[in-house]
Amino acid sequence: MYNNYGASYQEQRLQQMMEQKQLKDFMRMYSNLVSRCFDDCVADFTSNTLNDKELTCVNRCTQKNMKLNERIGQRFAEENAKLMEDQAKMGR
Amino acid sequence: MFGGVFGGGSQKPAGQMAPGGMGGGMGQAQMDPNAQLAAAEQEMEMVTDMFARLGDLCYRKCLIQRYSDEELTKAESVCTDRCVAKYFQVNREVSEKLAKLSQTN
Repeated sequence: MYNNYGASYQEQRLQQMMEQKQLKDFMRMYSNLVSRCFDDCVADFTSNTLNDKELTCVNRCTQKNMKLNERIGQRFAEENAKLMEDQAKMGR
Repeated sequence: MFGGVFGGGSQKPAGQMAPGGMGGGMGQAQMDPNAQLAAAEQEMEMVTDMFARLGDLCYRKCLIQRYSDEELTKAESVCTDRCVAKYFQVNREVSEKLAKLSQTN
């Protein structure tokens, strides 16, 4: 019964699913970043365009948060690897 | 494609972190393909959720002075490293405690 699904078809489905999730996750991250930088940087509503201070702030905010995510990703991968190692040792 | 969900710096394809990571270890060898895919999907969901939470928490706790510079300061970098490490430790502590509690019941 399970022979109907060749290994490569399974892989394809898995790949598709992961790509969709990654896309969805990227969109969510992008929206959150916009919200966050708006919240942190914009307080002056005497004008309807961003002033210089706000523009600089938004640029720094974007860059900084991307760097933060990058760093978290690196540490996450390390911790995750440790976790898997510990579990392998426990013979799971 | 977008520099990776898990941070551009890590350069790991998503596949390396998904099924079997996060201690899922669900013994997928004997599962039917649909259940296998659902399990992989669920695990990936858990991982991305955890990553999002980490992003939010470590941002709140470590980026105190916003935004003096484009790069992470040394203090912020160190704080982030420790933030992730402690989060994982809390994760372990909570799951061990929960396991103990459910045993005594």
